[in-house]
Amino acid sequence: MSPDQRRAWFARVVESGLENKMFAPADVLQHATPDVLANHLPPELLSKVLAASLAAGSMTPERVLDTVTPELLAQHLPHDVLWQCIAAAAARAGVTNTPGKP
Amino acid sequence: MNVKGFLAAALGSAIELGIGTADDVLRHVTPDVLAAHLPRPLWARLLTACLGAPKVDAQLVVETVGIANLCEHVPAATMWSCLADIAVRALGKPGEQPAAVPTPIAESKSAPAAKGSTRVPLAPAPPPAEAPRRPTPPPPSPAAQGPAIPAPVEQHAADDSRPPPGQRFRQAATGIGRGLGANQVRRPQAQAAPAPAAAAAAAAATTAPRTPGRRGQTEAETETETSVETGDWRGKEIAVDDSQLVDWSSDNTESRDEDFGDFSRKR
Repeated sequence: MSPDQRRAWFARVVESGLENKMFAPADVLQHATPDVLANHLPPELLSKVLAASLAAGSMTPERVLDTVTPELLAQHLPHDVLWQCIAAAAARAGVTNTPGKP
Repeated sequence: MNVKGFLAAALGSAIELGIGTADDVLRHVTPDVLAAHLPRPLWARLLTACLGAPKVDAQLVVETVGIANLCEHVPAATMWSCLADIAVRALGKPGEQPAAVPTPIAESKSAPAAKGSTRVPLAPAPPPAEAPRRPTPPPPSPAAQGPAIPAPVEQHAADDSRPPPGQRFRQAATGIGRGLGANQVRRPQAQAAPAPAAAAAAAAATTAPRTPGRRGQTEAETETETSVETGDWRGKEIAVDDSQLVDWSSDNTESRDEDFGDFSRKR
Protein backbone atom coordinates (compact mmCIF):
# COMPACT_ATOMS: atom_id res chain seq x y z
CA MET A 1 0.00 0.00 0.00
CA SER A 2 1.68 3.15 -1.16
CA PRO A 3 1.26 6.49 0.60
CA ASP A 4 -0.44 7.87 -2.47
CA GLN A 5 -3.04 5.15 -2.36
CA ARG A 6 -3.62 5.66 1.33
CA ARG A 7 -3.95 9.36 0.84
CA ALA A 8 -6.33 8.95 -2.05
CA TRP A 9 -8.46 6.58 -0.05
CA PHE A 10 -8.75 8.83 2.98
CA ALA A 11 -9.62 11.69 0.71
CA ARG A 12 -12.31 9.62 -0.93
CA VAL A 13 -13.74 8.52 2.40
CA VAL A 14 -13.91 12.07 3.71
CA GLU A 15 -15.45 13.22 0.47
CA SER A 16 -18.00 10.43 0.61
CA GLY A 17 -18.81 11.24 4.22
CA LEU A 18 -19.52 14.82 3.26
CA GLU A 19 -21.51 13.86 0.19
CA ASN A 20 -23.60 11.34 2.07
CA LYS A 21 -23.99 13.68 5.01
CA MET A 22 -22.37 11.29 7.38
CA PHE A 23 -20.69 14.35 8.80
CA ALA A 24 -20.69 18.03 8.09
CA PRO A 25 -17.78 20.41 7.63
CA ALA A 26 -18.27 21.49 11.21
CA ASP A 27 -17.74 17.90 12.30
CA VAL A 28 -14.50 17.85 10.37
CA LEU A 29 -13.31 20.96 12.14
CA GLN A 30 -14.16 19.34 15.45
CA HIS A 31 -11.17 17.11 14.82
CA ALA A 32 -9.20 19.20 12.39
CA THR A 33 -9.04 21.99 14.88
CA PRO A 34 -7.46 25.37 14.12
CA ASP A 35 -4.42 24.17 15.97
CA VAL A 36 -4.15 21.08 13.80
CA LEU A 37 -4.72 23.09 10.66
CA ALA A 38 -2.19 25.68 11.62
CA ASN A 39 0.42 23.09 12.38
CA HIS A 40 -0.02 20.99 9.26
CA LEU A 41 -1.31 23.12 6.44
CA PRO A 42 1.34 24.82 4.33
CA PRO A 43 1.54 28.60 4.49
CA GLU A 44 0.10 29.19 1.04
CA LEU A 45 -2.96 27.13 1.92
CA LEU A 46 -3.44 28.98 5.16
CA SER A 47 -3.19 32.14 3.18
CA LYS A 48 -5.86 31.02 0.79
CA VAL A 49 -8.21 30.13 3.63
CA LEU A 50 -7.79 33.49 5.16
CA ALA A 51 -8.11 35.29 1.85
CA ALA A 52 -11.34 33.50 1.00
CA SER A 53 -12.78 34.28 4.39
CA LEU A 54 -11.80 37.87 4.13
CA ALA A 55 -13.40 38.14 0.73
CA ALA A 56 -16.63 36.56 1.97
CA GLY A 57 -16.64 38.38 5.21
CA SER A 58 -16.73 35.37 7.40
CA MET A 59 -14.92 32.11 7.99
CA THR A 60 -17.22 29.18 8.19
CA PRO A 61 -16.39 25.48 8.25
CA GLU A 62 -17.97 25.15 4.81
CA ARG A 63 -15.77 27.87 3.44
CA VAL A 64 -12.71 26.32 4.99
CA LEU A 65 -13.47 23.01 3.39
CA ASP A 66 -14.19 24.73 0.09
CA THR A 67 -10.57 25.76 0.11
CA VAL A 68 -9.07 22.86 2.00
CA THR A 69 -10.67 20.10 0.02
CA PRO A 70 -10.71 16.49 1.18
CA GLU A 71 -7.74 15.83 -1.08
CA LEU A 72 -5.78 18.56 0.63
CA LEU A 73 -6.90 17.40 4.04
CA ALA A 74 -5.66 13.89 3.26
CA GLN A 75 -2.48 15.32 1.84
CA HIS A 76 -1.50 17.45 4.79
CA LEU A 77 -3.34 16.31 7.90
CA PRO A 78 -2.50 13.19 9.86
CA HIS A 79 -4.75 10.41 8.76
CA ASP A 80 -5.46 9.59 12.38
CA VAL A 81 -7.30 12.87 12.65
CA LEU A 82 -9.37 12.17 9.58
CA TRP A 83 -10.19 8.72 10.73
CA GLN A 84 -11.34 9.94 14.12
CA CYS A 85 -13.71 12.22 12.31
CA ILE A 86 -15.01 9.37 10.18
CA ALA A 87 -15.31 6.94 13.09
CA ALA A 88 -17.11 9.45 15.23
CA ALA A 89 -19.58 10.02 12.47
CA ALA A 90 -20.13 6.32 12.12
CA ALA A 91 -20.73 6.07 15.84
CA ARG A 92 -23.25 8.85 15.66
CA ALA A 93 -24.99 7.03 12.87
CA GLY A 94 -25.25 3.96 15.07
CA VAL A 95 -23.00 1.90 12.94
CA THR A 96 -20.43 1.36 15.64
CA ASN A 97 -20.39 1.78 19.39
CA THR A 98 -16.82 2.85 19.78
CA PRO A 99 -16.53 6.45 18.63
CA GLY A 100 -13.20 7.41 17.25
CA LYS A 101 -11.79 3.94 17.45
CA PRO A 102 -11.82 1.58 14.52
CA MET B 1 -27.75 10.65 6.07
CA ASN B 2 -26.83 7.95 3.63
CA VAL B 3 -24.80 5.47 5.62
CA LYS B 4 -24.98 2.77 2.98
CA GLY B 5 -23.83 5.11 0.28
CA PHE B 6 -20.96 6.23 2.42
CA LEU B 7 -19.91 2.69 3.22
CA ALA B 8 -20.19 1.68 -0.41
CA ALA B 9 -18.04 4.56 -1.53
CA ALA B 10 -15.47 4.02 1.20
CA LEU B 11 -15.17 0.28 0.70
CA GLY B 12 -15.34 0.51 -3.05
CA SER B 13 -12.56 3.02 -3.22
CA ALA B 14 -10.51 1.00 -0.75
CA ILE B 15 -10.65 -2.03 -3.01
CA GLU B 16 -10.17 0.06 -6.09
CA LEU B 17 -7.06 1.69 -4.66
CA GLY B 18 -5.66 -1.49 -3.26
CA ILE B 19 -6.02 -0.31 0.32
CA GLY B 20 -8.33 -3.18 1.07
CA THR B 21 -9.04 -6.49 -0.53
CA ALA B 22 -12.00 -8.72 -1.01
CA ASP B 23 -10.63 -10.90 1.75
CA ASP B 24 -11.02 -7.98 4.11
CA VAL B 25 -14.66 -7.83 3.20
CA LEU B 26 -15.38 -11.52 3.50
CA ARG B 27 -13.56 -11.71 6.79
CA HIS B 28 -16.65 -10.07 8.25
CA VAL B 29 -19.21 -10.70 5.58
CA THR B 30 -19.05 -14.42 6.08
CA PRO B 31 -21.14 -16.94 4.18
CA ASP B 32 -23.44 -17.02 7.19
CA VAL B 33 -23.93 -13.30 6.98
CA LEU B 34 -24.58 -13.54 3.27
CA ALA B 35 -27.02 -16.35 3.80
CA ALA B 36 -28.91 -14.31 6.35
CA HIS B 37 -29.08 -11.03 4.48
CA LEU B 38 -28.46 -11.43 0.80
CA PRO B 39 -31.62 -11.62 -1.31
CA ARG B 40 -32.24 -14.80 -3.22
CA PRO B 41 -31.75 -13.31 -6.67
CA LEU B 42 -28.29 -12.17 -5.62
CA TRP B 43 -27.64 -15.61 -4.20
CA ALA B 44 -28.67 -17.09 -7.52
CA ARG B 45 -26.28 -14.81 -9.32
CA LEU B 46 -23.52 -15.68 -6.90
CA LEU B 47 -24.09 -19.40 -7.21
CA THR B 48 -24.13 -19.16 -10.96
CA ALA B 49 -20.86 -17.31 -10.98
CA CYS B 50 -19.27 -19.72 -8.54
CA LEU B 51 -20.39 -22.71 -10.51
CA GLY B 52 -19.00 -21.30 -13.70
CA ALA B 53 -15.73 -20.08 -12.32
CA PRO B 54 -12.63 -22.24 -12.16
CA LYS B 55 -11.63 -20.68 -8.88
CA VAL B 56 -13.97 -19.49 -6.16
CA ASP B 57 -12.46 -16.95 -3.87
CA ALA B 58 -13.35 -13.81 -2.01
CA GLN B 59 -12.73 -11.64 -5.03
CA LEU B 60 -15.23 -13.56 -7.08
CA VAL B 61 -17.85 -13.20 -4.38
CA VAL B 62 -17.29 -9.49 -3.94
CA GLU B 63 -17.17 -8.80 -7.66
CA THR B 64 -20.25 -10.85 -8.33
CA VAL B 65 -22.41 -9.43 -5.58
CA GLY B 66 -20.89 -5.98 -5.70
CA ILE B 67 -19.91 -3.65 -2.91
CA ALA B 68 -23.03 -1.60 -3.41
CA ASN B 69 -25.26 -4.62 -2.97
CA LEU B 70 -23.32 -5.77 0.04
CA CYS B 71 -23.69 -2.37 1.67
CA GLU B 72 -27.35 -2.34 0.75
CA HIS B 73 -28.26 -5.66 2.31
CA VAL B 74 -25.62 -6.52 4.89
CA PRO B 75 -25.96 -4.68 8.21
CA ALA B 76 -24.03 -1.45 8.33
CA ALA B 77 -22.21 -2.52 11.47
CA THR B 78 -20.74 -5.49 9.62
CA MET B 79 -19.65 -3.37 6.72
CA TRP B 80 -18.23 -0.88 9.13
CA SER B 81 -16.11 -3.62 10.64
CA CYS B 82 -14.61 -4.24 7.22
CA LEU B 83 -13.91 -0.56 6.83
CA ALA B 84 -12.43 -0.30 10.30
CA ASP B 85 -10.05 -3.19 9.65
CA ILE B 86 -8.89 -1.57 6.47
CA ALA B 87 -8.41 1.73 8.25
CA VAL B 88 -6.41 0.14 11.05
CA ARG B 89 -4.06 -1.32 8.50
CA ALA B 90 -3.91 1.89 6.52
CA LEU B 91 -3.07 3.84 9.65
CA GLY B 92 -0.28 1.45 10.43
CA LYS B 93 -1.41 0.29 13.81
CA PRO B 94 -0.01 -3.19 14.05
CA GLY B 95 -0.97 -3.51 17.71
CA GLU B 96 -4.63 -3.20 16.84
CA GLN B 97 -4.42 -5.49 13.91
CA PRO B 98 -7.06 -8.12 14.26
CA ALA B 99 -5.87 -11.66 14.84
CA ALA B 100 -5.36 -13.93 11.94
CA VAL B 101 -8.72 -15.09 10.79
CA PRO B 102 -9.18 -17.94 8.38
CA THR B 103 -9.96 -17.05 4.86
CA PRO B 104 -13.70 -17.42 4.49
CA ILE B 105 -13.59 -18.99 1.10
CA ALA B 106 -12.14 -22.43 1.06
CA GLU B 107 -12.65 -23.49 -2.47
CA SER B 108 -9.75 -22.47 -4.58
CA LYS B 109 -9.93 -25.18 -7.17
CA SER B 110 -13.07 -26.54 -8.67
CA ALA B 111 -12.40 -30.19 -8.26
CA PRO B 112 -14.85 -31.40 -5.67
CA ALA B 113 -15.49 -34.75 -7.24
CA ALA B 114 -11.84 -35.70 -7.26
CA LYS B 115 -11.53 -35.23 -3.54
CA GLY B 116 -14.46 -37.47 -2.86
CA SER B 117 -16.31 -35.11 -0.57
CA THR B 118 -19.27 -32.87 -1.07
CA ARG B 119 -18.00 -29.34 -0.65
CA VAL B 120 -20.12 -26.31 -0.16
CA PRO B 121 -18.75 -23.53 -2.36
CA LEU B 122 -18.87 -20.87 0.30
CA ALA B 123 -17.74 -22.91 3.25
CA PRO B 124 -15.17 -21.33 5.52
CA ALA B 125 -11.67 -22.61 5.21
CA PRO B 126 -10.10 -24.61 7.99
CA PRO B 127 -8.03 -22.24 10.07
CA PRO B 128 -4.36 -22.62 10.76
CA ALA B 129 -3.44 -24.56 13.85
CA GLU B 130 -2.43 -21.56 15.91
CA ALA B 131 -5.22 -19.25 14.76
CA PRO B 132 -8.31 -18.92 16.92
CA ARG B 133 -11.34 -20.36 15.31
CA ARG B 134 -14.52 -18.44 15.16
CA PRO B 135 -17.56 -20.43 16.09
CA THR B 136 -19.54 -20.25 12.95
CA PRO B 137 -22.34 -22.63 12.23
CA PRO B 138 -22.07 -24.53 8.98
CA PRO B 139 -23.42 -22.57 6.08
CA PRO B 140 -26.65 -23.72 4.58
CA SER B 141 -26.55 -25.68 1.45
CA PRO B 142 -27.08 -23.21 -1.35
CA ALA B 143 -28.48 -25.86 -3.60
CA ALA B 144 -31.17 -26.63 -1.09
CA GLN B 145 -32.30 -23.08 -0.46
CA GLY B 146 -31.52 -21.20 -3.59
CA PRO B 147 -33.93 -20.75 -6.42
CA ALA B 148 -33.43 -22.00 -9.91
CA ILE B 149 -30.13 -20.84 -11.24
CA PRO B 150 -30.62 -18.33 -14.01
CA ALA B 151 -28.63 -18.08 -17.16
CA PRO B 152 -24.93 -17.45 -16.64
CA VAL B 153 -23.88 -13.89 -16.24
CA GLU B 154 -22.13 -12.56 -19.28
CA GLN B 155 -19.62 -10.72 -17.17
CA HIS B 156 -18.19 -13.99 -15.97
CA ALA B 157 -18.68 -15.86 -19.15
CA ALA B 158 -15.80 -13.90 -20.58
CA ASP B 159 -13.30 -14.87 -17.96
CA ASP B 160 -14.22 -18.47 -17.44
CA SER B 161 -11.84 -21.29 -18.02
CA ARG B 162 -12.90 -22.32 -21.45
CA PRO B 163 -9.95 -22.90 -23.68
CA PRO B 164 -9.32 -20.43 -26.42
CA PRO B 165 -10.91 -21.24 -29.74
CA GLY B 166 -7.69 -22.58 -31.07
CA GLN B 167 -7.57 -25.25 -28.41
CA ARG B 168 -11.17 -26.35 -28.48
CA PHE B 169 -10.65 -29.07 -31.01
CA ARG B 170 -8.46 -32.01 -30.65
CA GLN B 171 -5.79 -32.52 -33.19
CA ALA B 172 -6.62 -35.13 -35.71
CA ALA B 173 -4.94 -38.39 -34.87
CA THR B 174 -4.46 -39.46 -38.45
CA GLY B 175 -0.73 -39.49 -38.20
CA ILE B 176 -0.40 -37.36 -41.27
CA GLY B 177 2.75 -35.44 -41.06
CA ARG B 178 3.85 -37.29 -37.97
CA GLY B 179 7.59 -37.50 -37.92
CA LEU B 180 7.90 -35.36 -40.98
CA GLY B 181 8.66 -32.16 -39.29
CA ALA B 182 11.09 -29.74 -40.72
CA ASN B 183 13.69 -30.53 -38.12
CA GLN B 184 13.24 -34.25 -38.19
CA VAL B 185 15.39 -36.46 -40.28
CA ARG B 186 14.14 -39.78 -41.45
CA ARG B 187 16.21 -42.71 -40.50
CA PRO B 188 17.76 -44.47 -43.46
CA GLN B 189 16.17 -47.79 -44.15
CA ALA B 190 18.36 -50.83 -44.11
CA GLN B 191 18.89 -52.59 -47.38
CA ALA B 192 17.29 -56.00 -47.09
CA ALA B 193 19.24 -58.90 -48.55
CA PRO B 194 17.06 -60.63 -51.15
CA ALA B 195 16.28 -64.28 -50.68
CA PRO B 196 17.81 -66.66 -53.29
CA ALA B 197 14.49 -67.61 -54.79
CA ALA B 198 13.34 -64.06 -54.89
CA ALA B 199 16.60 -63.04 -56.48
CA ALA B 200 16.17 -65.62 -59.19
CA ALA B 201 12.64 -64.49 -59.82
CA ALA B 202 13.81 -60.94 -60.03
CA ALA B 203 16.48 -61.88 -62.54
CA ALA B 204 13.92 -63.68 -64.63
CA ALA B 205 11.66 -60.71 -64.50
CA THR B 206 14.35 -58.49 -65.85
CA THR B 207 14.99 -60.77 -68.82
CA ALA B 208 11.38 -61.63 -69.61
CA PRO B 209 9.22 -59.19 -71.54
CA ARG B 210 7.21 -57.11 -69.22
CA THR B 211 3.47 -57.17 -69.34
CA PRO B 212 1.65 -53.99 -68.69
CA GLY B 213 0.92 -53.34 -65.07
CA ARG B 214 -2.47 -53.65 -63.60
CA ARG B 215 -2.92 -49.96 -63.37
CA GLY B 216 -0.81 -49.08 -66.33
CA GLN B 217 -1.72 -46.37 -68.65
CA THR B 218 -2.26 -48.77 -71.58
CA GLU B 219 -4.37 -51.24 -69.71
CA ALA B 220 -7.58 -50.30 -71.47
CA GLU B 221 -5.96 -50.15 -74.86
CA THR B 222 -3.86 -53.29 -74.79
CA GLU B 223 -5.40 -56.32 -76.39
CA THR B 224 -4.15 -59.59 -74.98
CA GLU B 225 -4.48 -63.08 -76.36
CA THR B 226 -7.39 -63.87 -74.10
CA SER B 227 -9.14 -60.66 -74.58
CA VAL B 228 -12.85 -61.21 -75.14
CA GLU B 229 -13.75 -57.78 -76.28
CA THR B 230 -13.16 -58.43 -79.92
CA GLY B 231 -15.22 -61.60 -80.11
CA ASP B 232 -13.06 -63.29 -82.77
CA TRP B 233 -11.68 -65.80 -80.32
CA ARG B 234 -14.54 -68.19 -80.95
CA GLY B 235 -13.20 -69.33 -84.24
CA LYS B 236 -9.63 -69.70 -83.11
CA GLU B 237 -8.12 -72.90 -81.86
CA ILE B 238 -5.55 -72.46 -79.17
CA ALA B 239 -2.80 -75.00 -78.92
CA VAL B 240 -2.22 -76.26 -75.38
CA ASP B 241 0.68 -78.42 -74.30
CA ASP B 242 0.09 -81.36 -71.94
CA SER B 243 2.49 -79.94 -69.45
CA GLN B 244 0.24 -76.95 -69.06
CA LEU B 245 -2.72 -79.04 -67.98
CA VAL B 246 -3.48 -79.52 -64.34
CA ASP B 247 -4.56 -82.78 -62.75
CA TRP B 248 -7.39 -81.47 -60.62
CA SER B 249 -8.33 -84.80 -59.04
CA SER B 250 -4.90 -85.42 -57.53
CA ASP B 251 -4.65 -81.80 -56.50
CA ASN B 252 -7.94 -81.87 -54.65
CA THR B 253 -7.15 -85.10 -52.92
CA GLU B 254 -3.95 -83.79 -51.57
CA SER B 255 -5.55 -80.68 -50.34
CA ARG B 256 -8.40 -82.62 -48.72
CA ASP B 257 -5.97 -84.91 -46.98
CA GLU B 258 -4.12 -82.00 -45.68
CA ASP B 259 -7.27 -80.38 -44.49
CA PHE B 260 -8.54 -83.50 -42.74
CA GLY B 261 -5.19 -84.21 -41.25
CA ASP B 262 -5.18 -80.80 -39.82
CA PHE B 263 -8.73 -81.26 -38.59
CA SER B 264 -7.93 -84.50 -36.76
CA ARG B 265 -4.87 -82.95 -35.23
CA LYS B 266 -6.91 -80.03 -33.95
CA ARG B 267 -9.46 -82.36 -32.44
